[in-house]
Amino acid sequence: MDTSVLVDILQRYVFNVANLQGMLRLSTPVILAGLCALITARAGILNIAGEGMILFGAWFAVAGSYYTQNSYVGLAVAILSGLVVGGLFALFSLKFGANIIVMGIAINIFAVSATIFMTRIVFGVAGSFMHPNIQGFSPIHIPLIKDIPILGGILSGYTFPVYLTWLLVLLTTIFLYRTPWGIHLRAVGESPEAARTQGINVERVRFLSVMASGVFASLAGSYLSLGHMVGFFDQMSAGRGFIGMAVNTFGGGEPVGVFLSSLLFGLTDTIGFRLQGERIIPIYFISMLPYFVTLIALTYFTIRKAQVAKAVFKKKAAQAEAER
Amino acid sequence: MPSKTTKTSVLLKSSQMFKLILMQLSGLFRKSLNVIMAILAAAVVGSILMLIVGRNPFVVYRLLFQNAFGSERALFITMQRATPLIFTAISSSIAFRTGVFNVGVEGQFFIGAIAGTFVGYAFQLPMILHLPLSLLAGFLGGAAWAYIPTLMRQKLGISEIITTIMTNYIATFLISWLTNYPMRETPLVAETPIVQNTARIPQFVNLNPNLAKGTQAHLGIFIALAVVIITWYIFKYTKLGYQWRMVGLSALFSEFGGINMDKTFIGGMLVSGGIAGLGGVVEILGVWRRYKDLFATGFGFKGNLASLLGGQSIIGSTIAAIFYGGLEAGALGLEWSTGIPRQLIDIVVGLIIFFMAAQGMWSFLNKLKLKNGKPGEGMMAFVKRMFTPKRKEETL
Repeated sequence: MDTSVLVDILQRYVFNVANLQGMLRLSTPVILAGLCALITARAGILNIAGEGMILFGAWFAVAGSYYTQNSYVGLAVAILSGLVVGGLFALFSLKFGANIIVMGIAINIFAVSATIFMTRIVFGVAGSFMHPNIQGFSPIHIPLIKDIPILGGILSGYTFPVYLTWLLVLLTTIFLYRTPWGIHLRAVGESPEAARTQGINVERVRFLSVMASGVFASLAGSYLSLGHMVGFFDQMSAGRGFIGMAVNTFGGGEPVGVFLSSLLFGLTDTIGFRLQGERIIPIYFISMLPYFVTLIALTYFTIRKAQVAKAVFKKKAAQAEAER
Repeated sequence: MPSKTTKTSVLLKSSQMFKLILMQLSGLFRKSLNVIMAILAAAVVGSILMLIVGRNPFVVYRLLFQNAFGSERALFITMQRATPLIFTAISSSIAFRTGVFNVGVEGQFFIGAIAGTFVGYAFQLPMILHLPLSLLAGFLGGAAWAYIPTLMRQKLGISEIITTIMTNYIATFLISWLTNYPMRETPLVAETPIVQNTARIPQFVNLNPNLAKGTQAHLGIFIALAVVIITWYIFKYTKLGYQWRMVGLSALFSEFGGINMDKTFIGGMLVSGGIAGLGGVVEILGVWRRYKDLFATGFGFKGNLASLLGGQSIIGSTIAAIFYGGLEAGALGLEWSTGIPRQLIDIVVGLIIFFMAAQGMWSFLNKLKLKNGKPGEGMMAFVKRMFTPKRKEETL
C-alpha cells in the first residue's frame, strides 16, 4: 500500500472533523466510567459495580427529565441516585464486610433487572422508553472558540456533560496531586497500614471514594440517556463500566491517561461505525482491539516493573558490596 | 470387669456419636441459616415491591412456586433452566475454592459453546464418537479461554478479575465475528449451521412424546449431575482436591507445605474454565442446536451468584443453581400468566445476595452495641454514628 492511499484512508476514516467530533462524543461516557474506576482503584478498591451504577444513573436521569422536562434536573436526580447506590454499595462492602467483587457482580445483575422492571412498572413499556417529555441536553456553542476555523468545529458544539467531563478530568488530577484529600486517597491505596499510622481514617476515605465513583458512573449514565441518545434502553450501558476499568488500567491510573485511552476507545468506536458499510475489515476486530491492547499493556507494564525493581535491587547490592 | 467397661465405652461412644452428629447438624444448620434468613428477608422485601406494584404477594409467590415445581411440566422447565447454571455454578465454585475469582465464566461458557457447535456441525461421525467429541471440544475451548488469564495471574501476579473481564469481551466479539462471517449459514441471520443429528443431546420429548410436552428439557442434566458427582468426589476424597482446597485457603502455606503451586493453581483454573465451556456446549447441543449470535447472556454471572448462594461448595452450589433455575422457570410462567416482569426474580436473587452479605451487618451492629454499652440500641447508635461527623481533636 503506498503512502498516499494510507493518507487518504486516514483522512477519510480518522482525521476529519466529523470523525473527531464523534470520537470526543463517544469517549465521554468512557472517560467518566474510567474516572469511576480510577477513583476507587487509587484508594485500593477493585470496583466492578460501575456497569450497574451507570445503568441506574441512566434510568434516573430519564425519570428526572421525564417528570420535570428539564435535562439538568435529570442530571441532578442521576447524581443523587449515584450517591445512594454508591453509598449502599460502600455500606455493604466496606462496613458490613461483604466481598466487594461479590457485591459488584450482584449489583450489576440487580441493576439490569431492576431498571427493566422499573421501566415496565413506572413507564409501562418494555425494551425502550422514549417520550417527547424527556428533554435531552442541547448543544452549547462556546462564543469565541466556535469561530476558530477547524478547532472551533472540534472543540465547540457539544452538550453540557461533555464539557463537564473534560473539566472533571482536570479537577481529578488537581484533586489527586494538589489537595490533602487526594494525597490521603493515594496513601490509602498504596499502603493502608502506613496511612492508618499517619492518622488517616482509611475506612472513611474508601467509603467516600466509592460514593464518588457512584457519582462518576451516574454522570456517564445520564450522558448515555440524555446526551448520546434521548430515552432509556434496556442494558444501554453496554459494558461501559467494564471498559472504564480497562481504560483506567491502560491509562496507568492517571486521569489524563484515562482521558487519552478513552479517546482511543472513542476512535475505535467511530472507525467501527464508518467501516461498517465498507467491509475492509470486520468491525469486530476493531472493537476487540482496546481489550486486547489492555491485556498486552498490563503484561508489558508488569514485566517492566519487575525488571526495574530487579535492576534497582542489583544496583543497591553492588553499592553495598562496594562500600564494604 | 471387662464386660462393664466395654459396655460403658460403647455407651460413651454412642453418646459421642450422637453429639458428633448433633454438632454436624447444627453446623450445617448454622451454615444454611444465613442463607435461609437471607431468602426470607429477600422474600419480605420482594413482597413489599409487589404491594407497591399492586399485587398480592401471596398469590404471586404461590404462582411462582407452582410454575417452578408445581407440575411435571414445571419441573422439566426448571430442569432445562437449571442445567447450564449447574455447570457455571460448579465452575465458579472450583475457582473460588482454589482462591480465584473467575469472572470469566461468561466468556468460557460461550467459547466452549462455539467450539462444540463447530465440531457438532462440521464432522460426520457416528453418535458414540460425535457427541463425546463435541463435549470434549467444549471443555477444551473453555479451558483454553481460561488459560491466558490464569497464566497472567500465576506468573505475573496480575489480578484475574480485570483480565477475565477483558477476555469476556474478546470472546464476545470473536464469536460475533465467527457467527457473522466464517461460520454463517444464511445471509439473513447471523447463526451457524445446525448441528448434526449425531451430535445432539436428546430432549425428553424426543424419547417419549408424552413425557415433557412443550419443554426443551434434555438429557444434559445427567451430564451436569455427573460433573457434580465427579467434582464433589475429587474435592472430598482425592489428593488433588485437597491440594486445590489448601491453595485456596492459604497459598503461602501450601507452597511451604510442598505443593506445586503452578500445577495445582493452573490446573484448578483450567478445570473451572473447562466445566464452564462444557456447560456452553451442553446448552447448545441440548436446547439450541445451533449457535445464534448473542443467543443468551448472563449464564456466567448467574453461575457466580449461584455459587455464592450455595456457600461455594459443590453440593451447595448445585442446589442453589437448581433453586435459581426454578425461580427463573417460575418467573417465566408468572410473566406469561400475570404480566409481572420476569426480572423480578433477578431482583429477588440480588436481594438475597445483599442480605447474605448482611451477615456482617448483624455482627457490625452487635459490635456497636458492645461499644456503647447499651444493649438493643445498636441500630440507633449506628444511625447516629452515620450522621454525626467525627471530631479528630477528641481522639488525639
